Amino acid sequence: MAAESRVVERFRKRSIWFHWIHTVAFLVLVITGAILFFPGLGAPAAGGVTRLVHRIAVVFFVFTPIVYSILNPRMALHFIKETFTWGADDFTWVTKAPDYYFGGDEEKMPPQGNINPGQKMWQLIILISGALFLVSGILMWFFKDTLSPEVFQWSVIVHDVAFILAFLMLLVHVYLGVLHPRMTESLRSMWDGRISKSYARNHYGKWYEKLSGDK
Amino acid sequence: MELTRKEFLKAAAGATGLMLLQPASIAMAKESQTDAGLAMLVDITKCVNCWWCYAACKDYNGLPETIKPDPSQPPQLAPDVWTTLYTVRNGAEWIARKQACNHCTEAACVEVCPTGALSYNKLGFVQYDKDKCSGCGYCVEYCPFGVPQIETNIATGAAVMDKCTFCHDRVTSGEPTACSAACPTGAITFGQRRDLIAAAKERVAELRPSNTGVRLYGDKELGGLHVMYVLDDSPEVYGLPGEPAVPAAASVRSVFKWLGTGLTAVVLAGFGLNYVVARIRMARSEEK
Repeated sequence: MAAESRVVERFRKRSIWFHWIHTVAFLVLVITGAILFFPGLGAPAAGGVTRLVHRIAVVFFVFTPIVYSILNPRMALHFIKETFTWGADDFTWVTKAPDYYFGGDEEKMPPQGNINPGQKMWQLIILISGALFLVSGILMWFFKDTLSPEVFQWSVIVHDVAFILAFLMLLVHVYLGVLHPRMTESLRSMWDGRISKSYARNHYGKWYEKLSGDK
Repeated sequence: MELTRKEFLKAAAGATGLMLLQPASIAMAKESQTDAGLAMLVDITKCVNCWWCYAACKDYNGLPETIKPDPSQPPQLAPDVWTTLYTVRNGAEWIARKQACNHCTEAACVEVCPTGALSYNKLGFVQYDKDKCSGCGYCVEYCPFGVPQIETNIATGAAVMDKCTFCHDRVTSGEPTACSAACPTGAITFGQRRDLIAAAKERVAELRPSNTGVRLYGDKELGGLHVMYVLDDSPEVYGLPGEPAVPAAASVRSVFKWLGTGLTAVVLAGFGLNYVVARIRMARSEEK
């Protein structure tokens, strides 16, 4: 198949910037946090440098979405609305997804809107784990001395659970976006914002139909 | 609490006798290496609140010097206070319990330390490696005795912890711990664990008739503490938990560690499988 020109705008510049700043912040948080989580990898944390880095990264992690939401309130609302809107097509998609992702027939998948249910799940995980991270993190950072040891102990666990959730879904997100044989244009679209017409039609049929007015 | 002159002398003599016996016992402990043979016994009924243990600890470990503190405002354990007296008001008097790391056999701090800064040494004591410490403070929050103390800068997170080493270099070269050597009444004794337990039981049997509250604490708690106590009242009176335990959260946490690692491995393997299968099936359907 000859390379098709990528003319459909999928992401706007500011969304792309937001995505990558947030990604870098999260990766820094993952690395500086995971070394405390995985047994035997703690050596780099010695001296507490990673604790400082973790605190700096979290400021970016928390404030980029806030700034983005203030600059783009409609996009932010859209994000929340999409995450929690689940229709019949979404559930059909979920049941057919395993076959599709293991290389099955593309035609069997119900057409999708701007994002598919898999991505909705990812967004849901981001919101849930983000809330868990935030609450438990604030407790451990600022209220260590004023709270009972039990609250601290369970905050550590909540942070762990949020980490497992978010990290596993991040792996899935990265694999699908970067490596999966079917997602040929995902990564590039998060770079320059564009995808080809056929990719748009195959992956986000409903959205593309609405956008272009043709089928 | 009364301590007669005769009792004082007896205790002092006993302590000296014990000290003379030590080199041989330490040699035995060294031979077995893994044997948690050495321990300390704190007999609360012999403590006269003199703070010599406190001063000796500071002196030996090179911690900022202090004078005998006001017992109504005793110094709290801190990175530069490795042992202190937990004081309790008893009528007009202050009675005290020596407070320091108990060197648990099943230590919550070691369990939760993410960097291995806290670990068990060959003698079974809980050792702390400052260079490995990340300052996370988990040990502070998980220790059932509230022993590790940390000073954290809230903005940067930089933190300092430090605690009793069980005078590691002294005991490995055949000397008793600084606090036990300094104790003038024999309230703090150092030696073979089993000898100390035997002595403690004798002491309990001796004191029981006049006080039913007398008990031995630490022989079984948390797999056996390396600092045991003869108490004359319930542990709570002396700021010790009645039934110390590694907090449940610590065990939950170690489960999550392995769960997280395991799931990550499963997911990564799943990607490999998915990639190969998807490639093959997609190539086949293109051929058609």
